[in-house]
Amino acid sequence: MVRADEINCVSPLCNLGWVEVLTSMSPYGWGQFGVAFALGLSIVGAAWGIWTTGSSLVGAAIKAPRIKSKNLVSIIFCEATAIYGVILAIILLNKVQAPDGEYLFDQSTWNWADMYHAGYSTFFAGVSVGLTNIASGVAVGIAGSSCALADAQ
Amino acid sequence: MVSRLSFHPYTYLTQGTFLRSCSSSSNPSSSGEANMSVASDVMEAGGLGTFNLDHGFPEAVVRGFRSGFLTDYDYHHLTQCESLEDMKMNLQETDYDQFMANEQHIIPVTFRDKALQKLVQEMEFLRAHAVEPLATFLDYISYEFMIDNVMLLLKGTLSGRSANELIKQCHPLGLFKESTMRSIPAFEASPKGYADLYQTVLIDTPVGPYFSQYLQDNAEQLSDASEMRNILEEVQIEVIKNSLHKLYLEDFYRVCQAIGGETAEFMGHLIKLRADRMAVNIAVNSIGTPLNEPAMRSTRHKLFPAVGYLYPAGTARLAEVTDEGQMEGALSAVPEYQKLYASIAGAKDKTLEDLFYEKDVQALEVAFEGQMHFAPFYAYVKLKQQEIRNLVWIAECILQGQKDEINKFVPIFSDSSPWRLAGKLNR
Repeated sequence: MVRADEINCVSPLCNLGWVEVLTSMSPYGWGQFGVAFALGLSIVGAAWGIWTTGSSLVGAAIKAPRIKSKNLVSIIFCEATAIYGVILAIILLNKVQAPDGEYLFDQSTWNWADMYHAGYSTFFAGVSVGLTNIASGVAVGIAGSSCALADAQ
Repeated sequence: MVSRLSFHPYTYLTQGTFLRSCSSSSNPSSSGEANMSVASDVMEAGGLGTFNLDHGFPEAVVRGFRSGFLTDYDYHHLTQCESLEDMKMNLQETDYDQFMANEQHIIPVTFRDKALQKLVQEMEFLRAHAVEPLATFLDYISYEFMIDNVMLLLKGTLSGRSANELIKQCHPLGLFKESTMRSIPAFEASPKGYADLYQTVLIDTPVGPYFSQYLQDNAEQLSDASEMRNILEEVQIEVIKNSLHKLYLEDFYRVCQAIGGETAEFMGHLIKLRADRMAVNIAVNSIGTPLNEPAMRSTRHKLFPAVGYLYPAGTARLAEVTDEGQMEGALSAVPEYQKLYASIAGAKDKTLEDLFYEKDVQALEVAFEGQMHFAPFYAYVKLKQQEIRNLVWIAECILQGQKDEINKFVPIFSDSSPWRLAGKLNR
C-alpha cells in the first residue's frame, strides 16, 4: 500500500494508485453493467444475424416461395442467442442483492472483499456472454443466409 | 438454308471491310496512364459480416432469377415443337410464363424482343433496390450495351436513316436519356455539327469519358482541326466501337478491383477471359484483311485490351500473327489457351471462337458459386443473353425446318455441357 506522503503528485485529484481507483467504484455498478452487457450485446448479435439471414430469405423467397418454412429455422436460431442473453441477464440480476437485513445500514460490517469479487464476476460474466453471442449471432446469420440461397438456387 | 447464327455478338471486326486506316501509331495504350473513367469514387463492398446489410436483398433476388433458367427438360420439349405457337405454349410452363401473351403474329425475333423486355424489367427491379457500390456495378453492366447503341445511332445517321427507326433498334438494356438519344441522329454533317456532336451530345451520354479518351489517344494521328469529323469519316466505325469496348473493359476491371473482396477475384477472372476472347477474335478475324499488313500491326495491337491473361506478352505475340498456323505459338503464353487451340482438331464443327465462348460460359456458371459478391449479377445478364440467343436459334430452326441443326446451341447449367460430361467420363 502506498502512503499518502510517498506520492509526488500535487493535483487535488491525486489518488493512491489503482487500488484507490478500483475500491472507489461500487461493486453494484460493476454488477449492473454486467447485466446490461449480457442483455444488450446478445441482442446486437441476434439482430445482426437476423438482418443477414432475413434479407437473403426475403429476396430469395420472391422466386422460390417454397423455401420460406424451412429456412425460418435459421432465423429462430439467431433469435435463440438473444434468449440466452436475456436468461443470463435475469440470472445475474438475481445475484445482485443488498447485504442481509440487520447489517444493511452498518457499512463497517460489510464484507467488502466478497462484494468486490461478486461485482467483478457479474461484470465479466455479462461481458463474456454478450461478446460471444455477438460472434455466434453473426455466424449463424451468415450460415443461414447461405442456406437460404442454396435452397433457392 | 439456315443462316448460321453466331453464338457470340462480339465479332468486332467483320472480315475484309477495312478500307481506310489510321496512320500507324507508336505504342498501344498502357495501363500505366490514368485513363478517363466513368465512375471515379467506388466504395468497397462489405465482407462476410456486412455484405448482406446493403446487398443481401438484390443478391438473393438474382439467385432466385437464376433458378428461372431453362433446363435440359425445357430445351428438350422446345426442340420437339413443330411450330412457333407450340414453342410459346411450352414456354408458358417455364419462368417465362405469359411473356408473349398478347402477341398475335409470332416470328423468331419476337422471342428475342419479349425476353429482352422481361430481362430489362428484372434488371430495373434490381437497380431500384441497389445502393452503392452495387448501383455503380449494375450501371457498368449496362454501359456495354450503351456503347453499342451509341455506335448504332452514329452509324445509322451517317447512312441516313431516321431517328425513330434507329431508336427502336437500340438494345433495351443500354438506353439512356431520351433527349440525348434523339440528338445524336439530329446532328448535321458539317464541321460545326461534328464539334457540337462531341461537345454537347456524346459527352452527355454516360459513356462519354470513353469517347474523350479515344479522341485523346488518337489525337496525335490527326492533322486537321476538325478531329471528330476525320474520325467518324475516315476510321471505320468498327474500329471505334472496338476501341470503346476495350476502354470500357479496362475501366470495368478497375472498378471491380476497387470494390475489392471476392468481387474483385471473380469479376477479375471473368473480365480477363472476356478480354482474351476479344483479343483472339480480333486476331483471328483480321487474318487476311488489310489490318494484317505489317504496317497496320501496331494499330491492331492497339485494339487489344490492356487486361487479361494474354496481356502483355500474349497480345504482343498475337499482334504479329499472320496466319492461322501461328496462332498456337501466339497462345503459348497461356497454356490453357494453347490446349484449347489444340483441341480444335478433335471438335469437328467448332471454331476457336466457339471454344473460347464455351470457356466463358463455364466461368459464368461458376460465378454463381460463392456468396457475397457481385459476379452473379453480371453472370445473370450474360447467361440470359445466351439463353435468348438459344431461343431465337431454336425458333429459326423450327421455322426453317432444320431439325438436325436445332441442337447446336450452348446450354446453360446443363448436365450435358462439355465440361460436365468430361468430368463424368473421367470418373
